[in-house]
Amino acid sequence: MEATIEVTGLRKRFGRTVALDGMTFRVPPGRVTGFVGPNGAGKSTTMRVILGLDAPDEGRALVGGVPYRSLEEPLTRVGALLDAGALQPSRTGRDHLLWLAHSQGLGAARVDEVIGLVGLGGTARRRAGGYSLGMRQRLGIAAALLGDPPVLMLDEPFNGLDPDGIVWIRGLLRSLAAEGRAVLVSSHLMSELEGTAGQLVVAGRGRVVADMGVAELIEAASHDRVTIRTTARSRAMETLAGAGATVAVTGGDTVTASGPPAERVVELLTGGGVPFSEVTAHRATLEEAYMELTRDAVEFRADGAGR
Amino acid sequence: MNRALHAEWTKLRTVAGTGPLLLLAVVLTVAMGAALAATLTCPWGRCAQDSVKLTFSGLPVSQACVALLAVLAVGGEYGTGMIGTTLTAIPRRGRVLAAKAAVVAGLTAVAGTVAVLASALAGRLILPGRGYPALSLADGPTLRAAAGSVLYLALVALLGVGIAMAVRDPAASIAAVLGLLYLFPLLAHMVSDPGWHRVLWSLAPMNAGLAVQTTVNVASLPIPPWAGLGVLAAWSAAALLAGGLLLRARDAS
Repeated sequence: MEATIEVTGLRKRFGRTVALDGMTFRVPPGRVTGFVGPNGAGKSTTMRVILGLDAPDEGRALVGGVPYRSLEEPLTRVGALLDAGALQPSRTGRDHLLWLAHSQGLGAARVDEVIGLVGLGGTARRRAGGYSLGMRQRLGIAAALLGDPPVLMLDEPFNGLDPDGIVWIRGLLRSLAAEGRAVLVSSHLMSELEGTAGQLVVAGRGRVVADMGVAELIEAASHDRVTIRTTARSRAMETLAGAGATVAVTGGDTVTASGPPAERVVELLTGGGVPFSEVTAHRATLEEAYMELTRDAVEFRADGAGR
Repeated sequence: MNRALHAEWTKLRTVAGTGPLLLLAVVLTVAMGAALAATLTCPWGRCAQDSVKLTFSGLPVSQACVALLAVLAVGGEYGTGMIGTTLTAIPRRGRVLAAKAAVVAGLTAVAGTVAVLASALAGRLILPGRGYPALSLADGPTLRAAAGSVLYLALVALLGVGIAMAVRDPAASIAAVLGLLYLFPLLAHMVSDPGWHRVLWSLAPMNAGLAVQTTVNVASLPIPPWAGLGVLAAWSAAALLAGGLLLRARDAS
C-alpha cells in the first residue's frame, strides 16, 4: 500500500454550520505534515471523514488510494489518535490496547511492545479512569502505533503533554516519518510543530489556506527585512535609501531596511563608511508566518469582532 | 467477523460492570424463585398452582440486570466517545453490531443457563416439601419453561443492544428498555375491553415472552408459550434492525 492520504473537495455541513468547504490536500510519505489552523477550521472533521467516521456531503478521502471503510485490518494500514479521552474508565490501558489488538488479529505481545514504546510501563495495568491527560495521550499514541501502520494521523497529540513529553513526541514523529511513513499531525499551536513538520497544510474555515514546505512558508513571511543597529542612524538611512531600500526607524539606534539582502546592506554601509554594531536578517518564526496566513481565515478574532 | 467477536469479547470481559451484573442476575433469579416456591400451598388439598413457573419467577426482576448489561455494552461507548475507536478498528458497521449482539447475548445465555439450572435444582429440593412433585427437566413442559427462560434472557439482551444502538445515550436507552418491559404491561391493565386487553397483553414483550414458562392451564393463555417468546424475538429483531440501520446511516457519534 502506498503511504499517502488524499483528500479531495470535502464538503460537510452540520445543520447551518459549514464545517468543510472544499478541503483538498495530500499527505506524502516520508515527512511530517502539519495540519494547522484555528479551532473550528475543520481539522478534526477532516480526520473523522478520512477514517470513515463521518460521511462527507461531497468529495472523498482516500488512504493509500482506497476509502478507509474498505480496509480489512485497518489499524495495520492507518494508525490514528483522535480523542485520547475516549476511554472506558474502568478498563485498564493494557486491556484497551488488547481489545484493539484482537480486532486486528494481533496478540498481547504486540500490546506490551507498544506499551514499552510509549513509555507507559506499569501504568498500563491501572484503570484508565485515573490517567492524567498526558498518560491518555501516550495510550492513544500506543493505540495508533499498534498495527505498525504506514500512515499515521494524530489530532492534537501535544495536548496535555509535559515538556519532556513534547520533546519525546517530536522525536517520535520525526523518526516515524524518516522510516518512510506518511504522518499527519494537527495542532492549533504552530510553535509545537516548529522543527518537526516538513510540510504544512494550513486550514481555515473548512478549506486549505496554504499548503507548502515549512522553509518556503517562513521565507515568504520574512519579507527580506534587515535590522541595523548603528550610532549613526541618519547616515545609515541616507546610504541605504540611496541604494533603493525602504528604510524605517524602529528604535533609538535601530533602523529596518527592506529590499536588499543582508549581505548587500553590509556592503553598502561599509562602502559608505557608516559604523554599525549589528546587521540581522529578520527571519519570521513559524508562528508569525502562520499568523499572517490565517489573519483572514480566523472565524472569530481575539477582539471579539466575529464575522 | 471472528476478530470482531474476539475484540468485543475482550471488551466485555475487561469492563467493570459485567461480572457483578451477571452475578446479580443469577442470584436474583435463584433467590426470587426459591422464595416464591417456598410459599406454595395446596388449598383444599388441590396442588394446582403453576409450581414450575413460580420456580422460574425471578426472571421479571433479573432481566433488568441483563438489560443494563446490554445497554452499557453499547451506550457506554457512546457515553465515552469510544464508539469512534471501535468503528475505526472495525469499519464495517454491521459487523460491529453483529459482534456486540452475539457476545452480549451469548454471555447472557451462559449466565441464564446457570441461573435456570440453579433455580431448577432449588425447585427440586423445595417443591416436595410444599406438596408438589419435585421439579424435573425430563418433563416436557418443564424443560420448555427452563429452555425458554434462558432464551428469554438472551432475547432481552438483544433488545437492549438494539435499542441502545438506536438511542445512543445510556440513560435514555435504559429508560426505553425498562419502559418497554415494565410499563407496556401496565398499558394492557388500563384497557378494560377484554379483546383489546388480550391483544395488548400478547404484544407486551415481557408478558408474551414469559408465557413460555407456563405449564398449567396453557390453553387459557392469550398467546401460546412459544408464540409468546416469538413476540419478544420480534421486538428484539426490530430493535436490532433499527439500531443497525441507524448505525449505518449516521455519523459515528
